Amino acid sequence: MPRPGFVLEVDERTPPLLVHSGESFRLQDFPLGSRVIYPPESLPGVPDVDEAIEQALLHPLDSEPLPSLLRAGMRLTIAFDDLSLPLPPMRKPDIRQRVIEHVLEHAARAGVDDVQIIAANALHRRMTPDELKAIVGERVFRSFFPDNLVNFDAEDRANLAHLGMTEENEDVEISKRAAESDLLVYVNVNLVAMDGGWKSTAIGLASYNSLRHHHNSHTMVHSRSFMDRHKSQLHSSAWRMGRVLSGHVKVFQIETTLNNDAFPSQYGFLTKREWEWSMRDQATFLGAKRGIDLMPAKARRKLFQSMEAPYLVTGISAGAVEPVHDATLERVHRQQLVDVDGQSDVLVLGLPYLCPYNVNSVMNPILAACLGLGYFFNMYVGQPLVRKGGAIILNHPVPWEFSTLHHPSYVDFFDEVLSVSTDPKVIEQKFEEQYATDPWYIHLYRTSYAYHGVHPFYMWYWCAHALDHVGDVIWVGGDRRAVARMGMRSASSFADALEMASDTVGRSPSITYLHSPPHVLARVNGSHS
Amino acid sequence: MSSSLVRDVKQVARGWRWTHRQLPPRSAEPHHVFPEAREFPTDWARSRVAVAAREAILRGGLTPLVRHETTLRVEGLDVLDDLDGPVIFVANHSSHLDTALLLTTLPPEWLRRVAVGAAADYFFDAWWRAVGSALVFATFPIERGGVGLSETPTKLLAQGWSLVMFPEGTRSPDGWTRRFRLGAAYLAAQAGVPVVPVALRGSFAAMPRGRGWPKPGRPPVHVRYGRPLRLQPGEEPRALGGRIASALGTLLDEDRTDWYAAQLRAAGGGTPASSGPDVARWRRVWESSAGPAPVRRRPRAWR
Repeated sequence: MPRPGFVLEVDERTPPLLVHSGESFRLQDFPLGSRVIYPPESLPGVPDVDEAIEQALLHPLDSEPLPSLLRAGMRLTIAFDDLSLPLPPMRKPDIRQRVIEHVLEHAARAGVDDVQIIAANALHRRMTPDELKAIVGERVFRSFFPDNLVNFDAEDRANLAHLGMTEENEDVEISKRAAESDLLVYVNVNLVAMDGGWKSTAIGLASYNSLRHHHNSHTMVHSRSFMDRHKSQLHSSAWRMGRVLSGHVKVFQIETTLNNDAFPSQYGFLTKREWEWSMRDQATFLGAKRGIDLMPAKARRKLFQSMEAPYLVTGISAGAVEPVHDATLERVHRQQLVDVDGQSDVLVLGLPYLCPYNVNSVMNPILAACLGLGYFFNMYVGQPLVRKGGAIILNHPVPWEFSTLHHPSYVDFFDEVLSVSTDPKVIEQKFEEQYATDPWYIHLYRTSYAYHGVHPFYMWYWCAHALDHVGDVIWVGGDRRAVARMGMRSASSFADALEMASDTVGRSPSITYLHSPPHVLARVNGSHS
Repeated sequence: MSSSLVRDVKQVARGWRWTHRQLPPRSAEPHHVFPEAREFPTDWARSRVAVAAREAILRGGLTPLVRHETTLRVEGLDVLDDLDGPVIFVANHSSHLDTALLLTTLPPEWLRRVAVGAAADYFFDAWWRAVGSALVFATFPIERGGVGLSETPTKLLAQGWSLVMFPEGTRSPDGWTRRFRLGAAYLAAQAGVPVVPVALRGSFAAMPRGRGWPKPGRPPVHVRYGRPLRLQPGEEPRALGGRIASALGTLLDEDRTDWYAAQLRAAGGGTPASSGPDVARWRRVWESSAGPAPVRRRPRAWR
């Protein structure tokens, strides 16, 4: 029986605790009385994944069974989450492959010839053929690539359909193929509460024209948090768009949830509570840390990027988008939710090597900021883990390093935009349109493997809520120049970071450390602790 | 580089516990599941070679040491003359000296076939302690956390091994006996073997909790074997447990006074409680730490 997550109070018995820091990790002593939020242990997977998929397809929520929606001569589009999910990538076979194969078997039985499979990558980079194959599997890849297994191209004007406006005057513009299909089947992997629902189709298959309505600094500041759908303006906007979308195309949503098995068994110590480490765990930690620290950077990156998570599937729901997503959220909460009493003065986060946008790539400073201030800071429902005006201490080396293949516009954003202002609102007004419409960035997005020109702006907007909320952001071990460019401060050690934060939070601050990954979602109630 | 390695090793070592017994932070205790205890294998410690080694260690090393460090008085060993099968020796327990006193006073033929029940969570939590105690004292693990009784003691009795058990479960913190648990009585009833009560006096005064060596000055310690007790027809093991506790009380009284006076008091229900007087803790410790009165020298026949 997996144990629930809990909040540890550091006492003299507490050993040093594991903290991620980019492509490394270390043990860190925390002051007595600090709170540490541990995620629940991994839930068991469903006993038979294929059976669970079939059950979901044959007994969907608020929908006819999939076979009765399929017929010869129809246009069927299957869209799926791109490589930004799950993190780390899932050990093969990927759950999307298994679900797509089941859907296709039903389609074949019904005699459906016109099938297109689209990666719902929105303004993310295109996936390489190998990356596509890793997700959909060899059979699907061989049958459909390259003509009918494609990356979504949000700049292909001829293949976008404007479906209308929402009641809030937001454009709904998505893939024409998806919008004009007789049935749109969406295959999702739900790693955190933010994923899924109408966000899958209304965002994953949308163009810049549509995305700009919710991917902006105002919406982001008022999404409190992204992990709480009912308090997220981002999600409210996606849901409004979804309602418009559902007036044009029948959507059959398939959502899958994973447990917390984020690391391979040889790195088991990464998911164990430190006082439960065996001698083997301790030896593995020491060996792994020394080995990683001594490795050349290239080999180290290769090692981390090749890591595959042995995730187990905790459930599959299919049918109408909203009831399916409610069932998904229930499972995600069961795996990740921990009750926390009150906020603290300081929030400590250890950022790992991977975020949704640097799979097989480099985590540049903007992505590191987005991971910490965008994703980890938002892992709450209720209220943030840190009080208004408090401090965030992030652990990451923040190397001044960019992939010119994947993140070309990030390089210019970092040099040209952040050197002028770090205020998301100012940046948005002054620079966004220029980057979003730059023909060179659009060309790279469409023909190479580059994120869209506007993408770094979105990453910065993800940070907007945290930047608006806290008084101080300090990076432990961060490259000083890179951190300074982002308008933040760098400390050489955790003790120094606390010393620096004392200007904001005093000399005896309450401290909370979010012990993640694996993911943990804090339900914060009560007042300041 | 080497300094960072040293730092890493030191940090990992902060979480290291030689005993292998996990010590969760207090706030983590409600969420902690202690790993299921696996019984430490001790069959090897009862092999012919181990028995020979133990006898050599006990006879050649420990016995002279005990006799050198304490003033030992052993009484009642003749009760063993009438016994030939396995028995359960049941003794009061207030010192790590107790096992050594028992084993070093047993006749060699008994010593070769006796095993000692020892707390699994203390003696068997670290391999080096488990191996050492199993070799020198022929210990086998006993779970004292209310977990079901292991099959090992039953198996040992069936194989003809006698057992030493301390039914209080742990060393007395003040030298007086604590509540006796019924494990030994149930075991005796189940295996049909007699129980030999053994009163140990002076070991608390000589080497109480917290000491690793007897006090200097050869403090007096007494080991007194009592008459065997057997389960009577129709008797419940619980009643046998009561009789064992009473017999030990009488034996302690006998050691303090004399056999006949103790018998008289026992017959009249006036045996002083072995659990001691109901007074402040310091007074209980004070009295126990005095130990038995030193043995008076025999009056010289010739001056």
